[in-house]
Amino acid sequence: MTETSMPVPAPGAPRGPETPSPTTSVSRAPQQIWRRVRGLLLAALLLVAAGITFAALTSDGAHGRLDPRSPDPTGSRAVAELLKNRGVTVDVVTTLDEATAAAGPDTTLLVAGPNVLTAYQRHVLRAATGDSSGRTVLVAPGRSSVGTLAPGTHADSAGPVTSRPADCDLPAARSAGTADTGGFRYRTDTHDAVACYPADGLPTFLVLPEHGTGDTVLLGSPDLLHNDRLDQQGNASLALQTLGSRPHLVWYLPSLSDPSAMENPGDGSGSGDDGAAVGSGFLDLVPSGWLWGTLQLALAAVLAAIWRARRLGPLVTERLPVAVRASESTEGRARLYRKTNARDRAAETLRSATRDRLAPLVGVPIRDAQSPEFLIPAVSACLGIPSDSDAAALLFGPAPADDAALVLLTDQLDALEREVRTS
Amino acid sequence: MALTGRTALLAALGSLPVGILAPSWTGMLAVNVPLSLAILCDYALAAPVRTLRFTRTGDTSVRLGDTANVRLTVTNPSGRRLRAQLRDAWPPSSWSSEAEQAASHHRFTVPAGERGRLTTLLRPSRRGDRQAQHVTVRSFGPLGLAARQGRHDVPWTVRVLPPFTSRKHLPSRLARLRELDGRTSVLTRGEGTEFDSLRAYVPGDDTRSIDWRATARQSSVAVRTWRPERDRHILVVLDTGRTSAGRVGDVPRLDAAMDAALLLTALAARAGDRVNLLAYDRRVRARVRGGAAGGDVLSAVVTAMAPLEPELVETDARGLSTAALAHAPRRSLLVLLTSLDAAPVEEGLLPVLPQLTRRHTVLVASVADPHVEAMTRGRGSIEAVYGAAAGTRTAEQRRRTADQLRRHGVTVVDATPDALAPALADAYLALKAAGRL
Repeated sequence: MTETSMPVPAPGAPRGPETPSPTTSVSRAPQQIWRRVRGLLLAALLLVAAGITFAALTSDGAHGRLDPRSPDPTGSRAVAELLKNRGVTVDVVTTLDEATAAAGPDTTLLVAGPNVLTAYQRHVLRAATGDSSGRTVLVAPGRSSVGTLAPGTHADSAGPVTSRPADCDLPAARSAGTADTGGFRYRTDTHDAVACYPADGLPTFLVLPEHGTGDTVLLGSPDLLHNDRLDQQGNASLALQTLGSRPHLVWYLPSLSDPSAMENPGDGSGSGDDGAAVGSGFLDLVPSGWLWGTLQLALAAVLAAIWRARRLGPLVTERLPVAVRASESTEGRARLYRKTNARDRAAETLRSATRDRLAPLVGVPIRDAQSPEFLIPAVSACLGIPSDSDAAALLFGPAPADDAALVLLTDQLDALEREVRTS
Repeated sequence: MALTGRTALLAALGSLPVGILAPSWTGMLAVNVPLSLAILCDYALAAPVRTLRFTRTGDTSVRLGDTANVRLTVTNPSGRRLRAQLRDAWPPSSWSSEAEQAASHHRFTVPAGERGRLTTLLRPSRRGDRQAQHVTVRSFGPLGLAARQGRHDVPWTVRVLPPFTSRKHLPSRLARLRELDGRTSVLTRGEGTEFDSLRAYVPGDDTRSIDWRATARQSSVAVRTWRPERDRHILVVLDTGRTSAGRVGDVPRLDAAMDAALLLTALAARAGDRVNLLAYDRRVRARVRGGAAGGDVLSAVVTAMAPLEPELVETDARGLSTAALAHAPRRSLLVLLTSLDAAPVEEGLLPVLPQLTRRHTVLVASVADPHVEAMTRGRGSIEAVYGAAAGTRTAEQRRRTADQLRRHGVTVVDATPDALAPALADAYLALKAAGRL
């Protein structure tokens, strides 16, 4: 209220040092918030941009690798189409359950990525394919997976992929001739295994006979199945003969979304505790450097806690004086009046005080201030009004009936006192 | 033993070699064993804290609101350089704000065998004695990785004196006092006045004050002049009982009463009267015998008042009266700084008042509450009107109590904290002018 009635200085007028600043608000202005968060926003933006750039740079042709639906250079659509033309059905599966269900004497099961299978998956797969009497083709199984998927066989160090002669008695290899082989070289304890395409004395193409008419084919590198190499050397011939020996081809592309990848290998029932399996899976995936680095950071955090926890001397206590407001009893009395609606008492107190103040003003001795027969005529005479009933009702009347009447009475008493003072 | 942020930082940086170069127990050991050795070496090489010697100098008293400097001298008798952080701990009310508390922390370096001096600034927020608690020293090693920590007890007390804000009223009251001295013949002689001098009669002087004997000796008419008697005794009695604890504004009633007492003391000391002080609730809390008039008494009174705190007990009025009578063997002006609440006065003070008034002039001064006065003026809403009724009732009761006291011949001063000191000084001057001291 006072601010609006204050004279507003002219726009060019100099402001005094005591002129308050335009705003007294302590909350931040939008500009301040912007200044505060723009650094963070810029950092977030940079992070996102770097992430996108990195993803774009690293997403090379590896996408759709060995996928029988992919026409990319490293895809395998060409061999799949050729097999279809020859009457072989090609089914793509991505889960272990589908792959094991499809295993059978009429089926060739191609495992595109045996190295990404978990230990449990390898066990399940081996159990299904070992005595299915069908053919199992493992594409470039590494050291970790070959021991489980083809027992008795070991993978040796990998070599380059080049054209190599078949150099064995396998009919398919003989008819195919040279082919682009290489990659892992295998060493096996199985006596009747057929070893082809040797590199530095060890085969990169190995056929292991299994139970019944079944066999397992180990392929040292996937290159001969790729679209871009299929038409070179005897690649196509070798691929078609290897994969087309049975009327059905099941192409197993292991995927991360496969629920069996989460199974705990030690759990015999097959339905393990998901939380523990996920936790161990996550820790397995994190590189060990991060784990050890985090452990060291935790140690640093403990040291920091010790640093901050040590206080420079104990707290100092102090005896403080009591803080009782002297007016507390008066305020309590006011609340008590309000609670009990003591209008009569409040009105009498206020009237009595007004009478005491009026008495000296109108020339009545203070000891007669509370008696109507002295005070009222004096007040009437002072105000110059003939009838004294108003003043009598005001100063000695009955208690007000409601709260509004009490407030009004107070104001009227003030008005009367003012009138007497000014008359 | 205390670690530093540097230690934690080094350990955190160690996570890089551990994570990148050697993620194994070997890597952890390779990082942490040298770090632990460095911490131990640092601890061993830090200057010892136990043998440090401390002495204090500086202010021993400060007026409330002013700043006190307390100097701390640190002697490092060891053969090693002392790099230290130090906390000179004082009670929290030794500073007015959190920011000022930073003054208790020091960072310093003292070469081997030398001394360093630190200054702690205090700006107390409450009256009373502030005692230094202890000095905590953290002595860092040369690498800043670890520190020795220890405590020393270096006692020192700073007495925080009442602020005496009513000082500003002193010049005007002193001027009135001088006028009083000069009011020669106008001042009627009587009890409490003494003969001052003779001077030549000027028209307008009271003819009754003509000294005929002196006139006969000289050629002109001489009149006698009088002045208020000097060397009167004043006993200021502070009631430190529960009624003095109530807060009026932001300070206890006792502090407002002290302010008024200080102005009275300063004024009376200049007027040549002897001021004594007594603080009492159920026993004597403070006592000052102003034997010698002059400036000393004011500082004695201020010092005596400084540590006084209100006690939450009912004042023993009988004991207070006895103590006051024992303290004022000669006829005195008793200035009683107490409350005008009905119950304590009617049950405590009134019965013993005749003993006091028989020999002495009694002045009762009380601190009124401006908040109650504001409540009395409340209008407009029903709450405000009830507040006004309650405030009026309280004021009425105080007035009635004051009237009761006045009927016993007691002078009563009842004023808000700001107005109490000048009002009390005026009452004193009026009594002096009337020759009632």
